[in-house]
Amino acid sequence: MMIEDSLKEISSKAQAAIAGAASADQLEVVRVEYLGRNGSLASLSKEMKGLKPAEKASVGKLLNQVKNSLEQDFETRKATFEKALLDARLTTEWIDLTLPPPGTKPGSLHPCTQIQQEIEDLFVSLGFTVLDGPEVETEYNNFDALNIPGDHPARDMQDTFWLTGGHLLRTHTSPVQVRGMKKLGPPLRMIAPGRVFRNEEVDASHEHTFYQLEGMMVDKNVSIANLTYFMKTLLSGIFKRETTVRLRPGYFPFVEPGFELDIQCLICGGPGCPVCKHSGWVELLPCGLVHPNVLRMGGIDPEQYGGFAFGLGLTRLVMMRYAIDDIRWLQSGDLRFLTQF
Amino acid sequence: MKFSRNWMAEFVGPLDVDAAKLGHMITTKTAECEGVEEHGAHFANVCAARVETVEPITGSHNVKAVVETGRYGRKTLVCGAPNCRPGMMTAYFPLGVKKIGGVESDGMLASAAELHINGDNSGILELEGVKPGDAIPGCVPDVLVEIDNKSLTHRPDLWGHHGMAREVAAILNRPLKDPVDLSRLPGGDSPVKVVIEDFSLCPRYSALLFDNVKVGPSPLWFQYRLQSVGLNPISNVVDVTNYIAAELAQPMHAFDADKIHDLTIIVRRAVDGEQAKALNGETYSLDASNLVIADPKTNVAIAGVMGGSDSATDAGTTRILLESASFHAGSVRKTSSKLKLRTDASMRFEKSQDPANTVRALARAIDLLEKVCPGIKLVGGLVDVKQLPAAPAPIELSIPWLQNKLGREISQAEVTDILTRLQFGVTEKTPGQLLVTIPSWRATKDIAIKDDLVEEVGRMIGYQSITPTAPASPAVVPPDEPERLFYRALRRQCASQGFTEVYNYSFLSKGEVEPFGFPATDHVGVLNPIVQGQDLLRASLLPGLLRNIRENLKHFSAFRLFEIGREIHAQPRGLPDEVPHFAAVAYAKDDGSASLFELKRLAMILGPGVTVQPADAKSYEHPARAANVLCQGEAIGRLFEFHPNMVEVGRAAVLDLDLRRLLALKPAVSKYHPVNRFPYSAFDLSILCSLRELTGELEEKMRALSGPELVSLEYLRQYTGAPLPDDVKSVSFRITLGSPAHTLTNEEVTTVRDRIIKGLEQQGYELR
Repeated sequence: MMIEDSLKEISSKAQAAIAGAASADQLEVVRVEYLGRNGSLASLSKEMKGLKPAEKASVGKLLNQVKNSLEQDFETRKATFEKALLDARLTTEWIDLTLPPPGTKPGSLHPCTQIQQEIEDLFVSLGFTVLDGPEVETEYNNFDALNIPGDHPARDMQDTFWLTGGHLLRTHTSPVQVRGMKKLGPPLRMIAPGRVFRNEEVDASHEHTFYQLEGMMVDKNVSIANLTYFMKTLLSGIFKRETTVRLRPGYFPFVEPGFELDIQCLICGGPGCPVCKHSGWVELLPCGLVHPNVLRMGGIDPEQYGGFAFGLGLTRLVMMRYAIDDIRWLQSGDLRFLTQF
Repeated sequence: MKFSRNWMAEFVGPLDVDAAKLGHMITTKTAECEGVEEHGAHFANVCAARVETVEPITGSHNVKAVVETGRYGRKTLVCGAPNCRPGMMTAYFPLGVKKIGGVESDGMLASAAELHINGDNSGILELEGVKPGDAIPGCVPDVLVEIDNKSLTHRPDLWGHHGMAREVAAILNRPLKDPVDLSRLPGGDSPVKVVIEDFSLCPRYSALLFDNVKVGPSPLWFQYRLQSVGLNPISNVVDVTNYIAAELAQPMHAFDADKIHDLTIIVRRAVDGEQAKALNGETYSLDASNLVIADPKTNVAIAGVMGGSDSATDAGTTRILLESASFHAGSVRKTSSKLKLRTDASMRFEKSQDPANTVRALARAIDLLEKVCPGIKLVGGLVDVKQLPAAPAPIELSIPWLQNKLGREISQAEVTDILTRLQFGVTEKTPGQLLVTIPSWRATKDIAIKDDLVEEVGRMIGYQSITPTAPASPAVVPPDEPERLFYRALRRQCASQGFTEVYNYSFLSKGEVEPFGFPATDHVGVLNPIVQGQDLLRASLLPGLLRNIRENLKHFSAFRLFEIGREIHAQPRGLPDEVPHFAAVAYAKDDGSASLFELKRLAMILGPGVTVQPADAKSYEHPARAANVLCQGEAIGRLFEFHPNMVEVGRAAVLDLDLRRLLALKPAVSKYHPVNRFPYSAFDLSILCSLRELTGELEEKMRALSGPELVSLEYLRQYTGAPLPDDVKSVSFRITLGSPAHTLTNEEVTTVRDRIIKGLEQQGYELR
């Protein structure tokens, strides 16, 4: 038999064996049998020693072709087995990803904190500095420095907790106005969020402890038009929509003129509904142009500078945003409530 | 305060605007209107009627009456009033037909109370001088506008209808009628003598003496008017004083002149301990800070607050001394709040009433008393003792300045018009510069500086006419706020570690503080707590968190929460020290160790480089689970488990950090060491030691023995149990060595290893 014929025979046998291998192991046996160091092809190549040089070249070429072709068949077949193996493993590795992750679930921030941070960010983007002040204040800082001298009836507007040592719990964040003016100097833009206290009976809509955010801008030529601009910008930022505001006269001794700022009811948009007590407007925040006496208290010359100030009720905003029916939840420490935010 | 539309209309003409519009107008221009209500609408239908016949109904105290109503014809109805008798004139209320006790009744006869004229429900109304079908004289449907008193704090003039009518007139640009005719005040001497001891407390005291007084009920229209704004009719004399207070805002008082000794009024400070018997039947103990009205013998009224009972008018009164005075606002407020006696008078006086008003009120009183107390006669002239401060100088108002404040254009003519409508005196100093004279009723407190005029003009032009405008100031980069960013990060990290933020009150009770053993002297006390017991300010966040634990364990078997708040510590002088604290709780029903380590992890996240050092436990801490938290060697807080006495079910671990200390620490600057390029060598060591040997200390000892080749020393595990003795544990570490210069030889590694082992053995440890 010619060596070429033997080669063809080995080739076809090997092809059949590769195709017929039932497993990676069987395939390996086939590989050793035909392609191994002592396999059929290796033996055949030994027989080439006796050939003439011209024949040797052509048979050698053919042998290499057969070998390459078989090796390729083998690799392809091997890859099939490997893939099947991997597929089988992957199938068994199914995981129920709807299971909760081990460890603790993330906690959450108090809704007042969330609103406060949101509003702080808004004001910081408008160039305001965030300041802080003490919760226990002197009578002077809480009242006198804000143009509310002793025996002024305006003191009755804010029922006060009086403390041993002659101090009081601040009834508003406004004392930070004077502290802020002294610290920053004009021109300035500042806000001061914080806890305030009023000596009031607690019920579903009244708290003795709540959160306010004081704001103040002092500069040359600050006008009512500037105040409404900032308030409109602020409220559009808070409520994430265009808001309509109106100012009406309001009396707060530390501003002149003083305003109550109402926003057009976000529920009914104006025609009137129970939320706005059928007026179309919801009272939101007191504000005004800073009273010259307060500027003076802060060491600022009212002939040179003017300003506006406002007090935003953070607690009220939280109640509005989440439609919370009872203000007492906020300081209850009850996780059934707090984990909702 | 309630304002009657009809009353205001007497001064500004018919107010035919819709009630809601009237309220809105006042709200946007003047003061906050809390609501408008129809009042006395029934008077459109109620009419006078004559009782024709009355017959009893068997088995009932009611009677069957036939009445002639004129307007509605003859009606048969059931009436239960004891005064129902043939021939009387009364009020008929057409309510339709209904059966009362089986008898058909077409409408009803009404009492004064049922008609909202006064509180009298003893019988049906008795009318005189009317014929069937007539309307009840002076009783007509009205609209009441309720104004928030707080929004009138700065406006003494708006505590009367005439003042509010002045606003309405200005808004609607109508003329304002003055009900006062000063020419009615009598001249000549008065038998009344007035002495004011301190004019700073009583700058003016005016009075009139009347004789031939017959005390009795006021006419119905007068009673109806008073009742509509919430004032109870009492007697004609008292009703006049109340009417004038509600009209002109000037409180007055009528004394029975025969009960004033020597007809002499002395306005003086009370003597300490002086007793005053007031009209409400109470006796008040006064001191020198209270002002009284007295005669030469005794006090007869608490000035500006309430009259005395012994000098009050009654049915037998024939002469009255009518007081109309001006008192220092602060003094009245102080007295009223000290005595806890707030009256219609004190509420007005504490707003700084216009002293010019005293005589105006007296002139008006002459007019009204003649109407409601026929036959009354003046005796002598007006007494008017006063020492008034000089009228304030006119305010200079620059139109460009005003425009700057408003943020819109406005002409000098318009400003002049608005201020004139509000009865300011306006003259032009130079073009663009006005001189504005303040009317006396606005000058006591409300208006003093040009800024006050911005409000007057602004509210009248309407703030909605001002276009929101961005300020023309340059933008600046806001300053760094490391503290705020620190708090932000703190909160965010806590939440991400599974902690939920709580807010607790600043108030604590003694009962909440005592279990912690905090000294009472450290706490600031609340003098007027809202609830008895909530009378201390927190000097620690822990009592609040303990309450949170106790409440939440009712609903959850495991939870984590945290609070950032201020500890408030009393200081010997000055304001208390407010120390920001962070406190977190991890609660679970297990052996408690996992929670403690969770909190330790949290501490390490919040303060990089934080270490924990076991320390003596406080009374509320688990005695074997308490430690100081250190950062850069400084104590910044505490890590512990609550003592089982505090938390009886489950275990609660607590981390409490002083944020002021943590913030004060400079963040440690990391030092870079080149990474060794040569391979490391590592070996493990297991050390046998007593059960309560601190791993941290063991680690430190090994570190000290290791030498410069130490790359890392890592705790692996600890082991107790067989074959180890009961009181011994084995702690394993992995020690990694390396050199930046070469690969360590076996000998070098062995040298270090032997040094550590030998060192430990010298310190009494055994290696496993």
